[in-house]
Amino acid sequence: MRAVYKKELKTYFLTPGGYIFMGAFLLIAGLFFTLQNLFSGSSDYSSVLGSLILIFLLVVPILTMRLFTEEKRQKTDILLLSSPVSIQGIVLGKFFAAVTVFLITLIITMLFPLLLSFHGRMDWAQIWGTYIGFFFLGSAFIAIGTYISEVAESQTSAAILTFSALLASWIIDYIRSFVPMSPLSGAIFILILLIAGLALFQRKAEDWRITAAAGVVLLIGVIIVYAAAQESLYGLISKSISWFSLTSRFQRFSMGILRLDAVVYYISFSAFFLYLTGSRIENRRWS
Amino acid sequence: MIEVEQLTKRYGRTLAVDDISFTIEEGEVIGFLGPNGAGKSTVMNILTGCISASAGRAKINGIDILEDPSAVKKMIGYLPENPPLYVEMTPREYLSTVCDLKGVSRDQRKMKIERIMEKVGITHVSRRLIRNLSKGYRQRVGLAQAMIGDPDILILDEPTVGLDPGQIIGIRNLIADLGKKHTVVLSSHILSEVQAVCQRVMIISKGKIIASDRPEDLSRHLFGGNRLFITAAAAREQAESTVSKLTGIIDYKIEAGEEHDTVNVYFNADDDRDIRRDVFNAFAEAGTPLLMMRPIDMSLEEIFLDLTRSEVEL
Repeated sequence: MRAVYKKELKTYFLTPGGYIFMGAFLLIAGLFFTLQNLFSGSSDYSSVLGSLILIFLLVVPILTMRLFTEEKRQKTDILLLSSPVSIQGIVLGKFFAAVTVFLITLIITMLFPLLLSFHGRMDWAQIWGTYIGFFFLGSAFIAIGTYISEVAESQTSAAILTFSALLASWIIDYIRSFVPMSPLSGAIFILILLIAGLALFQRKAEDWRITAAAGVVLLIGVIIVYAAAQESLYGLISKSISWFSLTSRFQRFSMGILRLDAVVYYISFSAFFLYLTGSRIENRRWS
Repeated sequence: MIEVEQLTKRYGRTLAVDDISFTIEEGEVIGFLGPNGAGKSTVMNILTGCISASAGRAKINGIDILEDPSAVKKMIGYLPENPPLYVEMTPREYLSTVCDLKGVSRDQRKMKIERIMEKVGITHVSRRLIRNLSKGYRQRVGLAQAMIGDPDILILDEPTVGLDPGQIIGIRNLIADLGKKHTVVLSSHILSEVQAVCQRVMIISKGKIIASDRPEDLSRHLFGGNRLFITAAAAREQAESTVSKLTGIIDYKIEAGEEHDTVNVYFNADDDRDIRRDVFNAFAEAGTPLLMMRPIDMSLEEIFLDLTRSEVEL
C-alpha cells in the first residue's frame, strides 16, 4: 500500500491535478475569507467554514477523477496488478494519497482563523470541531470519487459523475422532506429494491427458477410485514435516504460537538465505497 | 519453472484460451507465436496474475498463482504489449517507483537501477520525461521495469513491436542475453524474431496450442521425415535407376532441371535416417555428379501459415 500511496502522492505534484485542486480550493476559500471576514471586519469564521462544503463539491472531483481512469487509459493498471501489491493495497494507497492532498489543503486554510485570532476572540472548539468534521466529510466524498473513477471510462465522465453524486448527497436532506411517508409507499419502495436485487441475482445465477422462487418468498414476506407491522414501514423511504445524508451528520461537528457515531458513520461510509472499488477491480480480473 | 494445466479463459461467451497445458523448464527461452487475437496476451496476463483464469491452474516454481499471488508476482517481470509507463515521470523516477511496488529493498537500489538502465541503454535519457521519449526508448524503459527485482521469469509480450530494425536487433540481443540467466517467455507474431531468440516455439491459434517444438524441428516433426533436394547432371532415366537403388526413401519426385541435361530430385526419407552420404555416393558411382544438394526445411512462416490455415479449414 505504501508504494502505491507514495507513487500517487508524487503523481499529484508531477501533474496539474494536485495544483489545480489546491489552487481552486484555496482561491475560493480565500475569497470567502476576504469577503466575509477581512472586508467586513468580522471575526465570525463559522460562516466561512459553512461555505467550504460547497467548495468540496466542486473540487473533490478534480482530486479523484484521475485515480483509476488514467491508469486504465494509459494501461498502467497492469503494472499495479502484476506487482506484489494487493488490490486492497492499491485502493487504499490511492485513497490515502488523495486524502493527504486534501488534508494538506485543509491545514493551509487554518491560517485564516490563525490570522483572525490576532484581532479578536475565536471559538476554537467550534473551529476544531468543524475542521475534524471537514476531514471526515471530505474523506467520505473522496471515497465516493475513488469508486466513481474506477467505474468511469474517462476523467471527464468521472468528474461529472462524482460532482453529481456529491451534489445529490448534499441536497438529499432537502429531497427527504418531499418523499411520501405512508406504509404503502414504504412497501412499494421495498418491492422496487427487491426487483432490482433479484435482477442482479438473475444475472449472476442465470437460473430463473431460483430467482422466481426467491421473488415469491420475498414478496410474501413483504405482504406479511405490510399486513402485520405497518408502522415499521412508515417513513421508510425518508429513513433510507437519510443513510446517505453525509452533510446532516456534519452539522454537529460545526457546533463543536465531536460525536463518535458520526465519526464511525463516515469511516464506515468510506470503507464501504473503498470495498466496492476493490470488488470492482477484482470482478474485472475475473470477467 | 512454469506449469500450466488445462487453462481456460472466457470473456462472456468468447473462448479466449481453450484448455491449454504446457510446462516451461527453468532457463528456457520460449516463444508464443500466433496471429493477433490468438490468446497469447491472455495467457501472459493469467501467468502474471493480472487476470484470472475461468478454469485450470498455473503454477510458477511450484506455487499456484491463485493461492499465493504475491509470492508468484515477485518471481515474474512482465512487459505487457503496451509498456505500462507513467509518462509524467523520468525513467529514473519511474524505475524507483517500480522498485517500491515490487518491494525491492532500499540498499543498493540506486546501483541496481543504474545497472539495469545501462543494460537496456537508457542511461543517457534517464533525466528526460518518459512522455518525451521515442517509442524505442519507451519500450526499453518497459523492459527495464520488467527486470527490476531480478525476477526468475521474464514475460515479454511483443517486445519489439513498433521498433525500427536497429532497435529490434538491440532488443533481440538483450533478450538473448537475458535468456542466459532467466526463463524468458515472449510472444510475437513476427516469426523471424521467435526463430532468432527462442529455444522452443509454441504456436497458438484460437486459444489452443497447435504445435510446440524447437524451431528447427517443427518442420520435421510436423511434416515427417528428412527432406532433401538435389540437382544432378544426369538424364531422367539415369536418375530414376540410381534413386531406385537407394534404401530408406519414403518417396521421391524427379523433374527436369533448369540447365540442359540436369534433373532436380526431391527426396522424403525416414525420420531417423541421414541419406545425404548415400545419395552422394550413389550418384557419384553412376557417373552423374551432384551439382547441388540442400535439405528442405519449411520456414517457420510456411509452418505457421500451414498450421493456422488448417485450423481455419477445420
